[in-house]
Amino acid sequence: MSVAVAIEGAAKVFPGPPAPVHALGPIDLSIEPGSFVALLGPSGCGKSTLLAMIAGLEAPTAGRITIDGRAVRGPQTEIGIVFQSPVLVDWRDVLGNVLLQADLRGLDRRALEPHARELLRSVGLEAFLDRRPWELSGGMQQRAAFCRALVHDPPLVLMDEPLGALDAMTREQLRADLEALWLRTRKTVILVTHAIDEAVQLADRVIVVSPRPGRIVRDLAVDLPRPRDLEVCESPPFHARVAEIKRIFQGYGVL
Amino acid sequence: MASSEPVLAAVSPAPSRLRLALDRATGPLFALGFFAAWEAAVRLLAVPLYIAPPPSAVLWQLWRNLPRIAEYTLVTGGETLGGFLLAVCLGVPLSLAVAFSPLLRRTFYPAAVTLEMVPKIAFAPLFVTWFGFGYLPKLVIVFLVCFFPILLNGILAFTSLPPELHRLCLSTGAGRWRTFRWVRLPAAAPQLFVGIKGAAVNATVGATIAEWIGGDAGLGYYIQIATGDLRMDLAFAIILVLAALGLGLFGLVVLAERLLVPWHVSQRIPPGAGSGG
Repeated sequence: MSVAVAIEGAAKVFPGPPAPVHALGPIDLSIEPGSFVALLGPSGCGKSTLLAMIAGLEAPTAGRITIDGRAVRGPQTEIGIVFQSPVLVDWRDVLGNVLLQADLRGLDRRALEPHARELLRSVGLEAFLDRRPWELSGGMQQRAAFCRALVHDPPLVLMDEPLGALDAMTREQLRADLEALWLRTRKTVILVTHAIDEAVQLADRVIVVSPRPGRIVRDLAVDLPRPRDLEVCESPPFHARVAEIKRIFQGYGVL
Repeated sequence: MASSEPVLAAVSPAPSRLRLALDRATGPLFALGFFAAWEAAVRLLAVPLYIAPPPSAVLWQLWRNLPRIAEYTLVTGGETLGGFLLAVCLGVPLSLAVAFSPLLRRTFYPAAVTLEMVPKIAFAPLFVTWFGFGYLPKLVIVFLVCFFPILLNGILAFTSLPPELHRLCLSTGAGRWRTFRWVRLPAAAPQLFVGIKGAAVNATVGATIAEWIGGDAGLGYYIQIATGDLRMDLAFAIILVLAALGLGLFGLVVLAERLLVPWHVSQRIPPGAGSGG
Protein backbone atom coordinates (compact mmCIF):
# COMPACT_ATOMS: atom_id res chain seq x y z
CA MET A 1 0.00 0.00 0.00
CA SER A 2 1.47 3.33 -1.00
CA VAL A 3 1.53 6.19 1.45
CA ALA A 4 1.07 9.87 0.71
CA VAL A 5 1.84 11.22 4.16
CA ALA A 6 3.60 9.29 6.91
CA ILE A 7 3.80 10.65 10.43
CA GLU A 8 6.07 8.77 12.82
CA GLY A 9 6.16 9.75 16.47
CA ALA A 10 5.62 13.43 15.71
CA ALA A 11 5.24 15.61 18.80
CA LYS A 12 5.23 19.30 19.51
CA VAL A 13 6.20 21.08 22.70
CA PHE A 14 6.06 24.88 22.73
CA PRO A 15 8.94 26.06 24.91
CA GLY A 16 7.08 28.91 26.57
CA PRO A 17 7.54 31.20 28.55
CA PRO A 18 6.01 30.90 31.06
CA ALA A 19 6.15 27.09 31.01
CA PRO A 20 6.65 24.56 28.22
CA VAL A 21 3.35 23.45 26.71
CA HIS A 22 3.07 19.90 25.46
CA ALA A 23 0.68 20.58 22.58
CA LEU A 24 0.64 17.37 20.63
CA GLY A 25 1.75 13.81 20.23
CA PRO A 26 3.45 11.56 19.81
CA ILE A 27 1.36 10.90 16.69
CA ASP A 28 1.68 7.96 14.29
CA LEU A 29 -0.41 8.15 11.15
CA SER A 30 -0.25 6.95 7.56
CA ILE A 31 -2.42 8.56 4.93
CA GLU A 32 -3.14 6.86 1.60
CA PRO A 33 -2.96 8.79 -1.65
CA GLY A 34 -6.32 10.06 -2.83
CA SER A 35 -8.02 9.69 0.52
CA PHE A 36 -10.00 12.32 2.37
CA VAL A 37 -8.89 12.35 6.00
CA ALA A 38 -10.39 14.51 8.75
CA LEU A 39 -8.42 15.46 11.86
CA LEU A 40 -11.18 15.96 14.39
CA GLY A 41 -10.62 17.33 17.85
CA PRO A 42 -11.64 19.96 20.36
CA SER A 43 -10.24 23.47 20.30
CA GLY A 44 -6.61 23.60 21.39
CA CYS A 45 -5.86 19.91 20.83
CA GLY A 46 -2.98 20.64 18.46
CA LYS A 47 -4.67 19.48 15.25
CA SER A 48 -3.84 22.73 13.45
CA THR A 49 -0.27 22.41 14.68
CA LEU A 50 -0.11 18.93 13.18
CA LEU A 51 -1.34 20.33 9.86
CA ALA A 52 1.30 23.11 10.01
CA MET A 53 3.95 20.45 10.67
CA ILE A 54 2.84 18.46 7.62
CA ALA A 55 3.05 21.68 5.58
CA GLY A 56 6.56 22.23 6.92
CA LEU A 57 5.54 25.55 8.44
CA GLU A 58 6.34 24.32 11.95
CA ALA A 59 9.02 21.85 12.96
CA PRO A 60 8.09 18.89 15.15
CA THR A 61 9.91 18.74 18.49
CA ALA A 62 10.26 14.99 18.03
CA GLY A 63 9.50 12.42 15.35
CA ARG A 64 9.43 12.48 11.59
CA ILE A 65 7.02 13.39 8.81
CA THR A 66 7.43 12.30 5.20
CA ILE A 67 5.42 13.20 2.11
CA ASP A 68 5.74 10.70 -0.74
CA GLY A 69 8.76 9.29 1.03
CA ARG A 70 10.59 12.62 1.30
CA ALA A 71 11.24 13.99 4.76
CA VAL A 72 9.54 17.30 5.50
CA ARG A 73 12.16 19.93 6.23
CA GLY A 74 10.97 23.47 5.74
CA PRO A 75 7.88 24.70 3.87
CA GLN A 76 6.40 22.19 1.42
CA THR A 77 5.46 23.45 -2.01
CA GLU A 78 3.73 20.44 -3.59
CA ILE A 79 0.60 21.26 -1.62
CA GLY A 80 -2.45 23.51 -1.62
CA ILE A 81 -3.51 25.23 1.58
CA VAL A 82 -6.89 26.54 2.71
CA PHE A 83 -7.18 28.53 5.93
CA GLN A 84 -10.13 29.37 8.15
CA SER A 85 -10.27 32.83 6.58
CA PRO A 86 -10.18 33.09 2.78
CA VAL A 87 -6.93 35.18 2.79
CA LEU A 88 -7.78 36.76 -0.56
CA VAL A 89 -5.94 39.94 -1.49
CA ASP A 90 -7.97 43.08 -2.15
CA TRP A 91 -5.78 44.29 -5.02
CA ARG A 92 -6.78 41.39 -7.27
CA ASP A 93 -10.12 40.25 -8.59
CA VAL A 94 -11.38 36.71 -8.02
CA LEU A 95 -9.62 35.23 -11.04
CA GLY A 96 -6.47 37.18 -10.17
CA ASN A 97 -6.56 35.82 -6.64
CA VAL A 98 -6.67 32.25 -7.90
CA LEU A 99 -3.83 33.03 -10.30
CA LEU A 100 -1.77 34.56 -7.47
CA GLN A 101 -0.77 30.95 -6.95
CA ALA A 102 0.78 30.96 -10.45
CA ASP A 103 2.56 34.29 -9.98
CA LEU A 104 4.03 33.32 -6.63
CA ARG A 105 5.26 30.05 -8.13
CA GLY A 106 6.72 31.78 -11.15
CA LEU A 107 4.43 29.76 -13.43
CA ASP A 108 2.92 31.05 -16.65
CA ARG A 109 -0.30 32.74 -15.68
CA ARG A 110 -1.87 32.23 -19.11
CA ALA A 111 -1.16 28.52 -18.98
CA LEU A 112 -3.06 28.14 -15.69
CA GLU A 113 -5.89 30.53 -16.53
CA PRO A 114 -8.15 27.96 -18.27
CA HIS A 115 -7.88 25.67 -15.25
CA ALA A 116 -8.58 28.57 -12.89
CA ARG A 117 -11.70 29.50 -14.87
CA GLU A 118 -12.86 25.90 -14.93
CA LEU A 119 -12.44 25.53 -11.15
CA LEU A 120 -14.26 28.79 -10.48
CA ARG A 121 -17.07 27.68 -12.78
CA SER A 122 -17.37 24.39 -10.89
CA VAL A 123 -18.03 26.27 -7.64
CA GLY A 124 -20.50 28.66 -9.27
CA LEU A 125 -18.29 31.73 -9.41
CA GLU A 126 -18.14 32.13 -13.20
CA ALA A 127 -20.13 35.37 -13.02
CA PHE A 128 -17.80 36.85 -10.40
CA LEU A 129 -14.38 36.44 -12.03
CA ASP A 130 -13.75 40.18 -12.22
CA ARG A 131 -15.20 41.01 -8.80
CA ARG A 132 -13.03 42.05 -5.88
CA PRO A 133 -13.07 39.97 -2.68
CA TRP A 134 -14.98 42.60 -0.70
CA GLU A 135 -17.86 42.37 -3.17
CA LEU A 136 -18.34 38.68 -2.37
CA SER A 137 -20.08 36.91 0.50
CA GLY A 138 -17.95 34.95 2.96
CA GLY A 139 -18.95 31.66 1.36
CA MET A 140 -18.05 32.86 -2.12
CA GLN A 141 -14.69 34.10 -0.86
CA GLN A 142 -13.93 30.72 0.65
CA ARG A 143 -14.94 28.99 -2.61
CA ALA A 144 -12.38 31.17 -4.40
CA ALA A 145 -9.82 30.12 -1.78
CA PHE A 146 -10.57 26.44 -2.58
CA CYS A 147 -9.86 27.15 -6.24
CA ARG A 148 -6.59 28.90 -5.38
CA ALA A 149 -5.50 25.81 -3.43
CA LEU A 150 -6.24 23.54 -6.41
CA VAL A 151 -5.26 25.57 -9.47
CA HIS A 152 -1.65 24.31 -9.57
CA ASP A 153 -2.89 20.72 -9.32
CA PRO A 154 -1.15 19.74 -6.07
CA PRO A 155 -1.30 16.08 -5.02
CA LEU A 156 -1.98 17.07 -1.40
CA VAL A 157 -4.44 19.66 -0.07
CA LEU A 158 -4.35 20.82 3.56
CA MET A 159 -7.40 22.53 5.00
CA ASP A 160 -7.38 24.20 8.41
CA GLU A 161 -11.00 24.56 9.56
CA PRO A 162 -12.00 25.99 6.18
CA LEU A 163 -15.70 26.14 7.04
CA GLY A 164 -15.25 27.22 10.65
CA ALA A 165 -15.93 30.92 10.12
CA LEU A 166 -19.05 30.52 7.97
CA ASP A 167 -22.71 30.65 8.96
CA ALA A 168 -24.55 27.34 9.26
CA MET A 169 -26.36 27.49 5.95
CA THR A 170 -23.30 28.51 3.94
CA ARG A 171 -21.35 25.78 5.70
CA GLU A 172 -23.82 23.16 4.46
CA GLN A 173 -23.50 24.43 0.90
CA LEU A 174 -19.71 24.50 1.02
CA ARG A 175 -19.53 20.96 2.39
CA ALA A 176 -21.35 19.79 -0.71
CA ASP A 177 -19.07 21.91 -2.92
CA LEU A 178 -16.00 20.55 -1.20
CA GLU A 179 -17.10 16.95 -1.65
CA ALA A 180 -17.92 17.56 -5.32
CA LEU A 181 -14.49 19.13 -5.88
CA TRP A 182 -12.82 16.19 -4.19
CA LEU A 183 -14.82 13.62 -6.15
CA ARG A 184 -13.70 15.30 -9.35
CA THR A 185 -10.03 15.76 -8.48
CA ARG A 186 -9.38 12.89 -6.01
CA LYS A 187 -6.56 14.73 -4.28
CA THR A 188 -5.26 13.59 -0.95
CA VAL A 189 -7.06 15.91 1.46
CA ILE A 190 -6.34 16.48 5.14
CA LEU A 191 -9.13 18.47 6.74
CA VAL A 192 -8.81 19.89 10.24
CA THR A 193 -12.16 20.44 11.89
CA HIS A 194 -13.93 20.50 15.24
CA ALA A 195 -17.34 19.70 13.74
CA ILE A 196 -18.20 16.01 14.15
CA ASP A 197 -20.91 15.91 11.48
CA GLU A 198 -18.65 17.74 9.04
CA ALA A 199 -15.87 15.18 9.53
CA VAL A 200 -18.27 12.26 9.07
CA GLN A 201 -19.94 13.82 6.05
CA LEU A 202 -16.73 14.59 4.19
CA ALA A 203 -14.04 12.11 5.19
CA ASP A 204 -13.14 8.52 4.33
CA ARG A 205 -11.35 8.38 7.63
CA VAL A 206 -11.93 10.39 10.77
CA ILE A 207 -8.90 10.66 13.04
CA VAL A 208 -10.21 11.59 16.47
CA VAL A 209 -7.69 13.63 18.46
CA SER A 210 -7.87 13.94 22.26
CA PRO A 211 -7.74 17.24 24.17
CA ARG A 212 -4.23 18.64 24.76
CA PRO A 213 -1.76 17.07 24.52
CA GLY A 214 -3.41 15.82 21.34
CA ARG A 215 -3.14 12.11 20.66
CA ILE A 216 -4.99 9.88 18.24
CA VAL A 217 -7.71 8.10 20.21
CA ARG A 218 -9.74 6.66 17.35
CA ASP A 219 -9.18 5.99 13.67
CA LEU A 220 -12.66 5.62 12.24
CA ALA A 221 -13.30 4.49 8.67
CA VAL A 222 -16.40 6.11 7.17
CA ASP A 223 -17.62 3.87 4.34
CA LEU A 224 -20.89 5.67 3.61
CA PRO A 225 -21.88 6.08 -0.05
CA ARG A 226 -20.96 9.26 -1.94
CA PRO A 227 -22.03 11.88 -2.68
CA ARG A 228 -23.18 12.23 0.88
CA ASP A 229 -26.34 14.14 0.25
CA LEU A 230 -29.14 14.87 2.68
CA GLU A 231 -30.40 11.30 2.43
CA VAL A 232 -27.06 9.85 3.50
CA CYS A 233 -26.61 12.43 6.25
CA GLU A 234 -30.08 11.62 7.61
CA SER A 235 -29.46 7.86 7.58
CA PRO A 236 -28.99 5.75 10.74
CA PRO A 237 -25.40 4.67 9.84
CA PHE A 238 -24.40 8.36 9.61
CA HIS A 239 -25.93 9.13 12.97
CA ALA A 240 -24.38 6.05 14.51
CA ARG A 241 -20.89 7.27 13.59
CA VAL A 242 -21.56 10.77 14.86
CA ALA A 243 -22.84 9.32 18.12
CA GLU A 244 -19.82 7.06 18.45
CA ILE A 245 -17.46 10.02 18.18
CA LYS A 246 -19.59 12.10 20.55
CA ARG A 247 -19.24 9.40 23.17
CA ILE A 248 -15.46 9.57 22.86
CA PHE A 249 -15.46 13.31 23.53
CA GLN A 250 -17.93 12.83 26.38
CA GLY A 251 -15.37 10.49 27.91
CA TYR A 252 -12.89 13.37 27.91
CA GLY A 253 -15.42 15.72 29.43
CA VAL A 254 -15.40 17.86 26.29
CA LEU A 255 -19.09 17.38 25.54
CA MET B 1 -41.46 41.66 -6.29
CA ALA B 2 -43.70 44.35 -7.67
CA SER B 3 -45.59 44.86 -4.41
CA SER B 4 -42.47 45.87 -2.52
CA GLU B 5 -41.34 48.49 -5.00
CA PRO B 6 -43.42 51.43 -3.78
CA VAL B 7 -42.24 50.80 -0.22
CA LEU B 8 -38.59 50.81 -1.28
CA ALA B 9 -39.08 54.00 -3.25
CA ALA B 10 -40.60 55.66 -0.20
CA VAL B 11 -37.73 54.63 2.03
CA SER B 12 -34.92 55.83 -0.21
CA PRO B 13 -36.06 58.28 -2.87
CA ALA B 14 -33.56 58.98 -5.62
CA PRO B 15 -31.84 62.29 -4.82
CA SER B 16 -32.99 65.06 -7.15
CA ARG B 17 -30.58 66.83 -9.49
CA LEU B 18 -30.99 70.06 -7.53
CA ARG B 19 -30.15 68.25 -4.31
CA LEU B 20 -26.97 66.80 -5.81
CA ALA B 21 -25.90 70.19 -7.15
CA LEU B 22 -26.50 71.75 -3.72
CA ASP B 23 -24.46 69.01 -2.05
CA ARG B 24 -21.59 69.69 -4.42
CA ALA B 25 -21.77 73.45 -3.91
CA THR B 26 -21.82 73.33 -0.09
CA GLY B 27 -18.04 73.55 0.33
CA PRO B 28 -17.40 76.45 -2.09
CA LEU B 29 -20.47 78.30 -0.78
CA PHE B 30 -19.19 78.00 2.77
CA ALA B 31 -15.77 79.37 1.78
CA LEU B 32 -17.37 82.24 -0.11
CA GLY B 33 -19.56 83.11 2.87
CA PHE B 34 -16.58 82.96 5.22
CA PHE B 35 -14.52 85.43 3.21
CA ALA B 36 -17.52 87.73 2.68
CA ALA B 37 -18.07 87.85 6.44
CA TRP B 38 -14.36 88.52 6.98
CA GLU B 39 -14.39 91.37 4.47
CA ALA B 40 -17.53 92.90 6.00
CA ALA B 41 -16.24 92.58 9.58
CA VAL B 42 -12.89 94.19 8.82
CA ARG B 43 -14.51 97.09 6.97
CA LEU B 44 -17.40 97.68 9.41
CA LEU B 45 -15.16 97.55 12.49
CA ALA B 46 -12.43 99.58 10.73
CA VAL B 47 -9.72 97.09 11.72
CA PRO B 48 -6.31 98.53 10.78
CA LEU B 49 -4.46 96.88 7.88
CA TYR B 50 -1.52 95.77 10.05
CA ILE B 51 -3.85 93.70 12.31
CA ALA B 52 -6.09 91.99 9.76
CA PRO B 53 -6.37 92.92 6.11
CA PRO B 54 -9.63 92.39 4.19
CA PRO B 55 -9.56 89.56 1.61
CA SER B 56 -9.85 92.09 -1.22
CA ALA B 57 -6.60 93.76 -0.13
CA VAL B 58 -4.92 90.36 0.07
CA LEU B 59 -5.98 89.53 -3.48
CA TRP B 60 -4.81 92.96 -4.66
CA GLN B 61 -1.36 92.40 -3.11
CA LEU B 62 -1.20 88.97 -4.67
CA TRP B 63 -1.86 90.47 -8.09
CA ARG B 64 0.55 93.44 -7.64
CA ASN B 65 3.46 91.30 -6.42
CA LEU B 66 2.77 88.38 -8.71
CA PRO B 67 6.21 88.30 -10.46
CA ARG B 68 8.10 88.27 -7.13
CA ILE B 69 5.66 85.77 -5.59
CA ALA B 70 5.91 83.53 -8.64
CA GLU B 71 9.70 83.61 -8.51
CA TYR B 72 9.76 82.75 -4.79
CA THR B 73 7.11 80.08 -5.25
CA LEU B 74 9.50 78.31 -7.58
CA VAL B 75 12.26 78.59 -4.95
CA THR B 76 10.13 77.29 -2.08
CA GLY B 77 8.40 74.75 -4.29
CA GLY B 78 11.78 73.43 -5.42
CA GLU B 79 12.97 73.00 -1.82
CA THR B 80 9.67 71.40 -0.79
CA LEU B 81 9.49 68.98 -3.68
CA GLY B 82 13.20 68.16 -3.59
CA GLY B 83 13.29 67.38 0.13
CA PHE B 84 10.02 65.49 -0.06
CA LEU B 85 11.07 63.32 -3.00
CA LEU B 86 14.43 62.64 -1.37
CA ALA B 87 12.62 61.54 1.79
CA VAL B 88 10.34 59.21 -0.19
CA CYS B 89 13.22 57.74 -2.21
CA LEU B 90 15.34 57.10 0.90
CA GLY B 91 12.58 56.52 3.47
CA VAL B 92 10.70 53.72 1.73
CA PRO B 93 13.75 51.49 0.99
CA LEU B 94 15.22 52.23 4.43
CA SER B 95 11.97 51.28 6.17
CA LEU B 96 12.06 48.01 4.26
CA ALA B 97 15.64 47.45 5.35
CA VAL B 98 14.84 48.23 9.00
CA ALA B 99 11.79 45.95 8.87
CA PHE B 100 13.93 42.96 7.88
CA SER B 101 17.29 43.67 9.49
CA PRO B 102 17.59 43.05 13.25
CA LEU B 103 20.94 44.83 13.12
CA LEU B 104 19.43 48.02 11.65
CA ARG B 105 16.56 47.78 14.12
CA ARG B 106 19.10 47.90 16.96
CA THR B 107 21.32 50.60 15.48
CA PHE B 108 19.75 52.83 12.85
CA TYR B 109 16.20 52.81 14.20
CA PRO B 110 16.92 54.16 17.73
CA ALA B 111 19.16 56.81 16.19
CA ALA B 112 16.36 57.86 13.84
CA VAL B 113 13.85 58.00 16.71
CA THR B 114 16.24 60.12 18.80
CA LEU B 115 16.75 62.46 15.87
CA GLU B 116 13.00 62.73 15.46
CA MET B 117 12.60 63.76 19.11
CA VAL B 118 14.85 66.80 18.52
CA PRO B 119 12.97 69.71 16.95
CA LYS B 120 14.48 69.75 13.46
CA ILE B 121 14.37 73.52 13.44
CA ALA B 122 17.08 73.50 16.12
CA PHE B 123 19.43 72.20 13.42
CA ALA B 124 18.64 75.02 11.01
CA PRO B 125 21.28 77.54 12.23
CA LEU B 126 23.81 74.71 12.20
CA PHE B 127 22.94 73.85 8.61
CA VAL B 128 23.33 77.52 7.66
CA THR B 129 26.86 77.39 9.08
CA TRP B 130 27.62 74.16 7.28
CA PHE B 131 25.86 74.63 3.97
CA GLY B 132 25.38 78.41 3.65
CA PHE B 133 22.21 80.33 2.75
CA GLY B 134 21.37 78.52 -0.45
CA TYR B 135 19.26 75.55 -1.52
CA LEU B 136 21.07 72.78 0.34
CA PRO B 137 20.26 73.60 4.01
CA LYS B 138 16.56 73.98 3.11
CA LEU B 139 16.59 70.70 1.27
CA VAL B 140 18.08 68.99 4.32
CA ILE B 141 15.48 70.49 6.69
CA VAL B 142 12.58 69.49 4.43
CA PHE B 143 14.10 66.04 4.08
CA LEU B 144 14.35 65.67 7.86
CA VAL B 145 10.75 66.69 8.58
CA CYS B 146 9.49 64.36 5.80
CA PHE B 147 11.71 61.39 6.44
CA PHE B 148 10.45 60.20 9.81
CA PRO B 149 6.75 59.74 9.10
CA ILE B 150 7.72 57.80 5.97
CA LEU B 151 10.20 55.62 7.84
CA LEU B 152 7.89 54.89 10.78
CA ASN B 153 4.85 54.06 8.65
CA GLY B 154 7.03 52.13 6.22
CA ILE B 155 8.33 49.87 8.98
CA LEU B 156 4.76 49.30 10.15
CA ALA B 157 3.67 48.64 6.56
CA PHE B 158 6.35 46.06 5.83
CA THR B 159 5.99 44.18 9.14
CA SER B 160 2.19 43.91 9.08
CA LEU B 161 1.72 41.11 6.56
CA PRO B 162 -1.07 38.84 7.87
CA PRO B 163 0.56 35.57 9.08
CA GLU B 164 -1.72 33.37 6.97
CA LEU B 165 -0.87 35.30 3.82
CA HIS B 166 2.79 34.81 4.67
CA ARG B 167 2.19 31.08 5.12
CA LEU B 168 0.44 30.97 1.77
CA CYS B 169 3.51 32.57 0.17
CA LEU B 170 5.80 30.07 1.89
CA SER B 171 3.71 27.16 0.60
CA THR B 172 4.23 28.32 -2.98
CA GLY B 173 8.00 28.29 -2.70
CA ALA B 174 8.06 31.95 -3.72
CA GLY B 175 11.38 33.49 -2.76
CA ARG B 176 11.82 36.90 -1.20
CA TRP B 177 11.54 38.75 -4.48
CA ARG B 178 8.32 37.15 -5.75
CA THR B 179 6.76 37.43 -2.29
CA PHE B 180 7.73 41.10 -2.19
CA ARG B 181 6.50 41.87 -5.68
CA TRP B 182 3.17 40.07 -5.60
CA VAL B 183 2.16 40.31 -1.95
CA ARG B 184 4.35 42.29 0.44
CA LEU B 185 4.60 45.51 -1.56
CA PRO B 186 0.92 45.82 -2.54
CA ALA B 187 -0.11 44.87 0.99
CA ALA B 188 2.16 47.60 2.37
CA ALA B 189 1.07 50.33 -0.05
CA PRO B 190 -1.87 51.78 1.95
CA GLN B 191 0.20 52.20 5.12
CA LEU B 192 3.11 53.59 3.07
CA PHE B 193 0.77 56.27 1.78
CA VAL B 194 -0.20 57.22 5.34
CA GLY B 195 3.45 58.13 5.91
CA ILE B 196 3.89 59.84 2.56
CA LYS B 197 0.78 61.96 3.17
CA GLY B 198 2.11 62.94 6.59
CA ALA B 199 5.37 63.93 4.94
CA ALA B 200 3.56 65.99 2.31
CA VAL B 201 1.85 67.96 5.08
CA ASN B 202 5.19 68.61 6.81
CA ALA B 203 7.12 69.53 3.68
CA THR B 204 6.02 73.16 3.14
CA VAL B 205 6.26 73.84 6.88
CA GLY B 206 9.89 72.70 6.81
CA ALA B 207 10.74 74.80 3.76
CA THR B 208 9.08 77.95 5.11
CA ILE B 209 10.76 77.81 8.51
CA ALA B 210 14.13 76.94 6.99
CA GLU B 211 13.87 80.10 4.89
CA TRP B 212 13.01 82.18 7.97
CA ILE B 213 16.12 81.09 9.75
CA GLY B 214 18.61 81.60 6.99
CA GLY B 215 17.33 82.53 3.59
CA ASP B 216 17.66 85.19 0.95
CA ALA B 217 14.84 83.97 -1.27
CA GLY B 218 11.61 82.03 -1.13
CA LEU B 219 8.13 82.53 0.30
CA GLY B 220 9.26 82.02 3.91
CA TYR B 221 11.90 84.70 3.47
CA TYR B 222 9.37 86.98 1.77
CA ILE B 223 6.78 86.56 4.54
CA GLN B 224 9.38 87.69 7.06
CA ILE B 225 10.09 90.83 5.02
CA ALA B 226 6.35 91.56 4.70
CA THR B 227 5.56 91.15 8.40
CA GLY B 228 8.66 93.20 9.31
CA ASP B 229 7.14 96.05 7.30
CA LEU B 230 3.71 95.42 8.93
CA ARG B 231 2.32 94.64 5.45
CA MET B 232 -0.13 92.03 6.59
CA ASP B 233 -2.04 92.15 3.31
CA LEU B 234 1.09 90.95 1.49
CA ALA B 235 1.84 88.44 4.28
CA PHE B 236 -1.62 86.94 3.88
CA ALA B 237 -1.19 86.82 0.12
CA ILE B 238 1.99 84.78 0.62
CA ILE B 239 0.25 82.53 3.14
CA LEU B 240 -2.43 81.94 0.52
CA VAL B 241 0.21 80.82 -1.98
CA LEU B 242 1.92 78.62 0.64
CA ALA B 243 -1.42 76.98 1.37
CA ALA B 244 -1.91 76.38 -2.35
CA LEU B 245 1.60 74.92 -2.59
CA GLY B 246 0.94 72.54 0.33
CA LEU B 247 -2.45 71.57 -1.04
CA GLY B 248 -0.92 70.99 -4.47
CA LEU B 249 1.67 68.58 -3.10
CA PHE B 250 -0.89 66.81 -0.92
CA GLY B 251 -3.25 66.60 -3.90
CA LEU B 252 -0.54 64.96 -6.00
CA VAL B 253 0.03 62.34 -3.30
CA VAL B 254 -3.70 61.68 -2.95
CA LEU B 255 -3.93 61.32 -6.73
CA ALA B 256 -1.03 58.87 -6.75
CA GLU B 257 -2.71 56.92 -3.96
CA ARG B 258 -5.96 56.76 -5.88
CA LEU B 259 -4.12 55.46 -8.94
CA LEU B 260 -1.90 52.97 -7.13
CA VAL B 261 -4.20 51.57 -4.40
CA PRO B 262 -7.73 52.01 -5.77
CA TRP B 263 -8.63 48.71 -4.11
CA HIS B 264 -8.10 49.87 -0.55
CA VAL B 265 -11.11 50.25 1.72
CA SER B 266 -10.42 53.99 2.12
CA GLN B 267 -10.63 54.51 -1.66
CA ARG B 268 -13.86 52.63 -2.31
CA ILE B 269 -16.94 54.51 -3.29
CA PRO B 270 -19.24 54.62 -0.24
CA PRO B 271 -22.58 52.83 -0.65
CA GLY B 272 -25.27 55.17 -1.91
CA ALA B 273 -22.86 57.42 -3.77
CA GLY B 274 -22.03 56.84 -7.42
CA SER B 275 -23.81 54.28 -9.53
CA GLY B 276 -24.93 52.16 -6.59
CA GLY B 277 -22.43 49.31 -7.16
